[in-house]
Amino acid sequence: MRNQKTEDRRRSAAESQLGQRTENRSRYIQTVFLFFCGLIALGGESKAAGLGGMEKSMVMIRSAGQEFDFVTPWKPKSLAQGVGSGFIIEGNKILTNAHNVSNNKYLELQKEDVAKRFLAKAAFIGHDCDLAVLTVDDANFFEDTNALEMAELPAINTTVSTFGFPMGGKRISVTEGVVSRIQMDAYAHTGADSHLVIQTDAAINPGNSGGPVMQGGKVVGVAFQGLRQADNIGYMIPTTVIKHFLADINDGKYDGFGTLGVMLYPGLHNPGYKDYLKVPAEEQGIVVIDTIMHSSVESILKTGDVLVQIDEYKIDNDGRVEIHGLKLDLSEAVEQKQTGQTAEIAFYRDGQLTKATATVALNKPVFEYDRQYDIKPRYVCFAGLVFVPATRNYLEAWGQDWLKEIPFSLRYLFHNSMQLNTDRQRKEYVVLSEIMPDEINAYAGGYKSQVIENINGTAVEGLDDVWKAFEKTDEDFYRLKFMGVERLLIIDAKEAHARQPEIMEKYDIPKQTTAEGSK
Amino acid sequence: MRINNFEFRIKNEEFRKYNKTKAIKSKGMRLLRRPDKSGLLAMTFLGVVLILVCFNTAFSMGGPAKTREAMKDSLVYLEISSYGYDQFRPWRTTDVVEKGGVGCAVGDNLVITPAWGLTNVKLIQARVMGQNEYLPAKVKIIDFEIDLALIEIEPNALKKPLKPIKFADRFERGAKLNFYWLSPDSELIGGQGTLDRGDVLHSPVSYTFNLNLVVTNTSQETGIGQLYCDGLTPIGISCWAQGTAETGLIPASVINGFLSRVKEANYPGIPSVGFATDQLLDPTMRGYLKMPGTMKNGVLVRDVYNLGTGADSLKANDVILAIDGRELDAYGKFLHPAYDRILFHPLVTDHKIGDDIAFDIWRDGKKQTLKVKATNFDSGEMLVPFYEYGQQPKYVVTGGYVFQKLTRSYLTNWGENWDGKVQPHLLYYLRDKSFKPTVQRKEIVMLSYVLPSQINLGYTDLGQLVVSTFNGMPVSRISDIIKAQKLNPDSKYDVVEFEMDHPTVVIPRQVLPAADSQISTNYGVRKLVNVE
Repeated sequence: MRNQKTEDRRRSAAESQLGQRTENRSRYIQTVFLFFCGLIALGGESKAAGLGGMEKSMVMIRSAGQEFDFVTPWKPKSLAQGVGSGFIIEGNKILTNAHNVSNNKYLELQKEDVAKRFLAKAAFIGHDCDLAVLTVDDANFFEDTNALEMAELPAINTTVSTFGFPMGGKRISVTEGVVSRIQMDAYAHTGADSHLVIQTDAAINPGNSGGPVMQGGKVVGVAFQGLRQADNIGYMIPTTVIKHFLADINDGKYDGFGTLGVMLYPGLHNPGYKDYLKVPAEEQGIVVIDTIMHSSVESILKTGDVLVQIDEYKIDNDGRVEIHGLKLDLSEAVEQKQTGQTAEIAFYRDGQLTKATATVALNKPVFEYDRQYDIKPRYVCFAGLVFVPATRNYLEAWGQDWLKEIPFSLRYLFHNSMQLNTDRQRKEYVVLSEIMPDEINAYAGGYKSQVIENINGTAVEGLDDVWKAFEKTDEDFYRLKFMGVERLLIIDAKEAHARQPEIMEKYDIPKQTTAEGSK
Repeated sequence: MRINNFEFRIKNEEFRKYNKTKAIKSKGMRLLRRPDKSGLLAMTFLGVVLILVCFNTAFSMGGPAKTREAMKDSLVYLEISSYGYDQFRPWRTTDVVEKGGVGCAVGDNLVITPAWGLTNVKLIQARVMGQNEYLPAKVKIIDFEIDLALIEIEPNALKKPLKPIKFADRFERGAKLNFYWLSPDSELIGGQGTLDRGDVLHSPVSYTFNLNLVVTNTSQETGIGQLYCDGLTPIGISCWAQGTAETGLIPASVINGFLSRVKEANYPGIPSVGFATDQLLDPTMRGYLKMPGTMKNGVLVRDVYNLGTGADSLKANDVILAIDGRELDAYGKFLHPAYDRILFHPLVTDHKIGDDIAFDIWRDGKKQTLKVKATNFDSGEMLVPFYEYGQQPKYVVTGGYVFQKLTRSYLTNWGENWDGKVQPHLLYYLRDKSFKPTVQRKEIVMLSYVLPSQINLGYTDLGQLVVSTFNGMPVSRISDIIKAQKLNPDSKYDVVEFEMDHPTVVIPRQVLPAADSQISTNYGVRKLVNVE
């Protein structure tokens, strides 16, 4: 049971991202064919009455992409194609969801009732907030289009309309509903991030994602996911998140949403705990359990401190602040900042109120919880032993039920890396993901999926350390010590180097990757 | 499972077998209660066919009918009533379970049966041939490590003394065996099987590895405790079964060892193995350990425990070459005169407690001989006990917080795929530290969950956490909580800290007695504390 929340990293999203309608190749051709038939049948004239000009802002995005294999990363995985929505924003850009374009190799755009196809590029992808900005080389694309403007947060129970290219047809579809709820919730794309979401009962279906949700002629959100087991629950990304994303990419690089780096618990509900922590009766706040290694607050906050204020926002016993006219988790206050910006925090320690300055940073955990995209997986293959970084993507190779199926050592680390890791130099954990069979590794089977601790006594703090260890030839044996495993794996050093070229050729493994370059 | 978790691999495989046996046992019961005519007919037919087809003299001599006649005063039917405790609400007992068992007479009023049937026994009633009524009986001695129990029937209740069975070691691979049991309706029933091999297998009821005889292709499913004979010679009693495909027997040698030990004033038990081994097939590993290429034998010591034989003499990465002069191969097996290659465990467990056992080991590039004292330990001495049969789990409920001693039974209570469901930090102690209690830490005490009440408002979601200190005192055993509650008398609170990152639990002392009373009534917790 996880019973304390980290500020904004919650795992396990019940929601499914609606994302793209995925189609295989033959259906793609069929769709194109039908689209043309439809056009001809309609006499080529756009039936845009009632769309209020939205057809000049809407874009249908077709993407073809390829997933990565995180166990044997040199192998290409299956091709996938999908269709999603997007819309034009100022600066000749198109806004859509990251999940529409992640891992893409090819992007094609289409406007309602315009026969031409345009190729696009994903200029910036924010996986942690499921947003992406596309650019089009052909400037003619933006002729006769209309950039949409962002509005503020809509009020609960006001009407909104979604526009998109959902399943069930080929033309723009519009649905209407109300704003049902505004709260912090998980973004399914990475599986471990949460930000503000707006819930609506306007129908949001596969294919809708990336499309604008409009109110009063302006954008109040980007449709992006829904709740599978419920009726009429769809979600959109609010403009606060969108504006944060757009501001971030202004400098030409997407940094991401940062945090304070603190683990909190709503303990003040218990009057005894509150008294024990010497928090004045009239104050509310949230208890600090721990701080993340390398965060700015690591040297500022201690276990047992009680956070009562962040900037101008007062924190209540649930860890919430009043912001945007709503009571939301304090991480929403942190999310108003870009990484590198500071926030003033006030906290009680031993009955004394103290103020300090914290810096918002990415504060990534040493065992990556986020699903990653658009990053070519790194690996080292030596003596037929394949080493990869331990990441969520790697764990998901165990299938739907991976949380229960993964081997114990990985599960222990995934749940508790923050507490178990005391090595400040550690960049990541490294796993023996696969063994390409050869006489040199005939007895290594038992070590598959185990986390490597050290090689010849030198700690493995990142994937590069593995390669560095195997580059040394000063000892007869490589002694591989794995975490939680008493027995060493012994590899004959000379033998391993001698067999290396043959193994790489036998299994058609290209260069091994390192940070410095390829070998 | 992993090669390096050798024991757990075997355990898991064996347990899958044993779980099937539970279903089989109740099937066996139905058979016992209503032996239908068609079944008897089939058996008779089978017997006739076997006599006609197979000209085995051992079979025609002292055949089933004769042995059955000899056995009728030696077999006892046992009606066993048991109930245990709810692992998650340890103040409650589970429902009473009644099942049938079989015992073999070893004295005038003494009977043996496997311990597995008696894990939570509360009442035993016996039935013998020639008497209609149930006879009161009780467990005299029970040893879960070798899976045997000695039961004493109330002597005055028996009309005539039982006829003790003399078990003898006799092993002929492929021998046709007969097995017998007494049904609840006092029918002496028999079956046949083929003696296939002797093997060292993981116990169904404890953490040990025991010598079993394995019988294949039994004519019907065996329940536990049934008597197996080779001709007229009783050679063992059944202790597990996997359908009719395979049945395991506790062999005569183990039974006779047990019977001689029960005569001692304080039953001493058998030595426990205090280390874990791993196959040493890898020539590179052997080279690394500086073993000469000609040396092909020897098993690797993967891990050394804090308890048991070898705990204070062996080291990890030792290679055991021989025990008592019997050479171990790379798998840890030795050549048994009758059973061929079997795992080394009987070489340790056949000793008496206190014996010196000679371990020939390879360490630091050379051979040496260690004199290792045979010792044993109780499941209760383990850091995470394998079992606590018949005992109420140790717990303390204070302020609605349910603190409990961690045991294997608690974790397996999560059901199928429990090891994928439980908190990894708890599983870590079970997997890596079970056999490693220390002076500072004898037990793992955890907060199981919270019974919601005013006093624990704000903490009700907590659970599955390992306690590190109580009022500043490191918690070594669950009884420490009682001691710790008396510390810091000037403090308004009991303060509990947990391992890994978790909030501190603060319990206001002033309102605690009233809260405990309310919780006790509200949640039906009649006894709030059970520590010793």
